[in-house]
Amino acid sequence: MLGKLIKYDMKSMSRAFIPMWILAPVVAMMLSFSIRGTIAWANSSAIGNMISVGNGLLMAIMVLLFVAAIIGLFVMTVMFVIQRFWNGLLKEEGYLMFTLPVKTWELIVSKALTATLVSSISIAVGVFSGVILAVLSTEEVVRTMAMWWEYVFSSIIKVGPMFWLNVVLSILLMILGTASNIYHTYAAMALGHLFQGHKVAGACVSYIVISVVFSIVGSIANAILSLFLPDDWMHYMISSSYSMVGRLGMIYLLYLLLCSTIQLIIYHVITERILSTRLNLE
Amino acid sequence: MGTMLIQCQDVWKNYGSQNALKGLNLQLESGKIVGLLGPNGSGKTTLIKILNGLLKPNHGMVLIDGQEPGSYTKSIISYLPDKPYFAGWMRVSDLFDLFGDFYEDFDREKADHMCRALQIDEKLRMKTLSKGTKEKVQLILVMSRKAKLYLLDEPIAGVDPAARDYILTTILNNYNPEGTVFISTHLISDVERVLDEVVFIRNGQVVFQELVDNIREKEGKSVDELFREVFRTVPFEGGVW
Repeated sequence: MLGKLIKYDMKSMSRAFIPMWILAPVVAMMLSFSIRGTIAWANSSAIGNMISVGNGLLMAIMVLLFVAAIIGLFVMTVMFVIQRFWNGLLKEEGYLMFTLPVKTWELIVSKALTATLVSSISIAVGVFSGVILAVLSTEEVVRTMAMWWEYVFSSIIKVGPMFWLNVVLSILLMILGTASNIYHTYAAMALGHLFQGHKVAGACVSYIVISVVFSIVGSIANAILSLFLPDDWMHYMISSSYSMVGRLGMIYLLYLLLCSTIQLIIYHVITERILSTRLNLE
Repeated sequence: MGTMLIQCQDVWKNYGSQNALKGLNLQLESGKIVGLLGPNGSGKTTLIKILNGLLKPNHGMVLIDGQEPGSYTKSIISYLPDKPYFAGWMRVSDLFDLFGDFYEDFDREKADHMCRALQIDEKLRMKTLSKGTKEKVQLILVMSRKAKLYLLDEPIAGVDPAARDYILTTILNNYNPEGTVFISTHLISDVERVLDEVVFIRNGQVVFQELVDNIREKEGKSVDELFREVFRTVPFEGGVW
């Protein structure tokens, strides 16, 4: 049943996002060609200096537009994730979803998996569009990136295979962190739906309260953890060998992964328990 | 005598400080068309939502076919809510696919046939349909299932008399005769002809439950007349209506 739910949630979410995922890199590509052309024209013109001031302004505006478009993509992603849960489960559409012969956890996991996938793709599209813009705009950026990559590559060799493990862990952390943030909003909305008459306000307050609680718990956990670290651990990190830095990085990433997993489980349990035992689709 | 399909014992439900159900008791057998009759605000929709699992009671026991509301009971209940529950982006055919995927008792051929009979284009998105057509699609979905229990919440409210006849005829012609149809309404005279049994609900409690034939024989009244008698209110500043 979970597979069937995911199929319908994917259909619902991808419908709005696929055009945007295609559009963002295309806009980035067009913008970069436009920048490249403007620079070439300014350099070849007899009054190049004068024009380049104007073109610089134009480029700045275009870059701002691109940034606004990317921010728009992320805002839309967040809004869509919230709306699919709120409208899909806690408003009229919930009448349909909660009368399907499925378990409540399946409804939640289906929404969360789909939202995580959509958010991760949106992030990847945003990064990809930024890279396209940078690489295709000017030779200077390409040269800088080549130099940067050379430095990174030499560092990778020094750190060894641990680097790639850390890259994989970082990607995993990004995905898990995204899922955890999504579940945070789900738990807040589930709590908010218990409020009589002020459900949206209740959800917002719940979101803030959960954030504060986890922030306090996180600070306490970090403080306890720091007791087990040597006093000069920062100095130790800087002076360590590359392979040691890689190892310490891995430990830290694993710690963050553990924290995100615990948070995610807590959010899921809160959401599932409320919707299983206190559902109120008035 | 059929088997007991619905059992509610001392069911309470409140919204804040307001009690919608106050220790409601109810038992219904299989194989009947039962009217849940009561004035507005008597607790009809609340009871139907509790049977569906859309609301959780604050207190009391609810069993459908011997089980608490959950995955199993949802698989045997076909529910017609009092308002449309579709996502606007879905096509009629998407909804048929969805019901076919999740409900084993959904008869796709029957749904397609009813759609053709009503001249509804399955390719159309729900957001483009009129209110009346949406209600028809909802009715097709519900009556294309061979369910053990049909929970129909105000299926004829807000439609003209001709549409009421059409809806009731569709229900009569398409329900599973081995199952129970539980219709909530306050439009008694329209549904009376199709009912086997009636349940009167007032202020969150069942105040009367009887077979329609018995009412006619014992009381010598129609259900509509009895309903008016039971739920008679004194007009403001007195007088007789």
